[in-house]
Amino acid sequence: MNAPDRYEKFVVPEHLLKVEVRKDTKVADAATFVIQREDHTVGNLVRMQLLEDKDIMFAGYKIPHPLQYQLLIKVQTNGSKTPQRAVQSAIGSLEEELRDIREKFLADVARFGSGEESMLA
Amino acid sequence: MGERAPPKRIPQVNVRKISPDFCEFVLSDTDPSVANALRRVMLSEVPTLAIDLVEIEVNTTVLNDEFIAHRLGLIPLVSQRVGEFTGAYDTNDDEENALMDIVFTMDVKCTGDDTLDVTSNDLQLDHNFQDIHPVAYHPSGMPMDPEAERGVLLVKLRKGQHLKLKAIARKGIGKDHAKWQPVATVTFQYMPDIRINQALMDTLSEEQKLEWVRSSPNPVFRVNPVTAQVEVLDAEAYRYDGEVIAKAKAFGKEGLVSITPRQDMFIFRVEGTGAMPTQQIVLSAIEVLLRKLDTLQQSLASEAAPMAVDNL
Repeated sequence: MNAPDRYEKFVVPEHLLKVEVRKDTKVADAATFVIQREDHTVGNLVRMQLLEDKDIMFAGYKIPHPLQYQLLIKVQTNGSKTPQRAVQSAIGSLEEELRDIREKFLADVARFGSGEESMLA
Repeated sequence: MGERAPPKRIPQVNVRKISPDFCEFVLSDTDPSVANALRRVMLSEVPTLAIDLVEIEVNTTVLNDEFIAHRLGLIPLVSQRVGEFTGAYDTNDDEENALMDIVFTMDVKCTGDDTLDVTSNDLQLDHNFQDIHPVAYHPSGMPMDPEAERGVLLVKLRKGQHLKLKAIARKGIGKDHAKWQPVATVTFQYMPDIRINQALMDTLSEEQKLEWVRSSPNPVFRVNPVTAQVEVLDAEAYRYDGEVIAKAKAFGKEGLVSITPRQDMFIFRVEGTGAMPTQQIVLSAIEVLLRKLDTLQQSLASEAAPMAVDNL
């Protein structure tokens, strides 16, 4: 009856930004990224990539409420770069990695197409 | 961006099987979060086509209108061309020429004494999109191979019952409704890392070794007939059931074997619904994920202003 519309899950409302950066008022070099209409797919992906970075002191994500379709990513760095820079470079490496996976997948699929073990019926 | 991030991972892909509706591949040298993101995107964010709106003109069947509309929605439509379409919630710069609707019609009346099956084959295709049709489609009335698949059953009619409708298919994603999922399921399995403590294993008698090997519900180990040593036969067959570990404990030989899921090697199995070849599903998932990250990257770049006050 009072369930939110299904499209609320993936359509960013006009009055909201896709990403809002909130600087932490108490902790230095820390910020919270409020990302609209994203979920664990992106949350966990970005968090794990951030943790690979040695300049990151803390990285975590949460989805505060299942019916508020937003994701919070909290980041604290050691001060050698801003949290925003850290997130940007994490996303950059992820994009690079995914392109690599796509390329390798295509190359390996081609092996089947070229007839040696043609299973593409 | 001056500072380059951490040591780069170089992922590897090994495709084992690929057919239009099943694909198995091994993704290695990456993080579980990447594997899981891929899995989640394939399940719920790869766009496909499905019937979304149904206008019912006549329905004297035993099923009510919404029941039939729901069943129509669940029919997988061949969606290779989904990329050319615009979804109901997508933004398109060229609104005028955006392709959105594919209109199917159906008009079936039972005149004989036997019950008549109404299937997906009774849908009449859109003249503009002759290649967009339900899976295993053989238009009704055409001579049909009895061996061929019969289409998806919608409803059965008795004499005099009539069903006439218009069905509009649109692009959508599984997050909106499961009818848009391109897959029946996608799974990934962590490759087990199995290490046998050979020194401890040698303290077992022949019979004990055999008994231990047989304690696994799936054949994972074997006793080498030549050397009489226990070895791994098929690590992937291990189902994390813990039976062999319990058996080792029962023998009083804890630590006989250590089995841990590897965090850098994943066996993916993609089972398509027929809406899209599995190869396209995987590639489209990567594309969707890349687009997501790109949107974030762009919004972050435009967010630069408030952060400019920073010391960096």
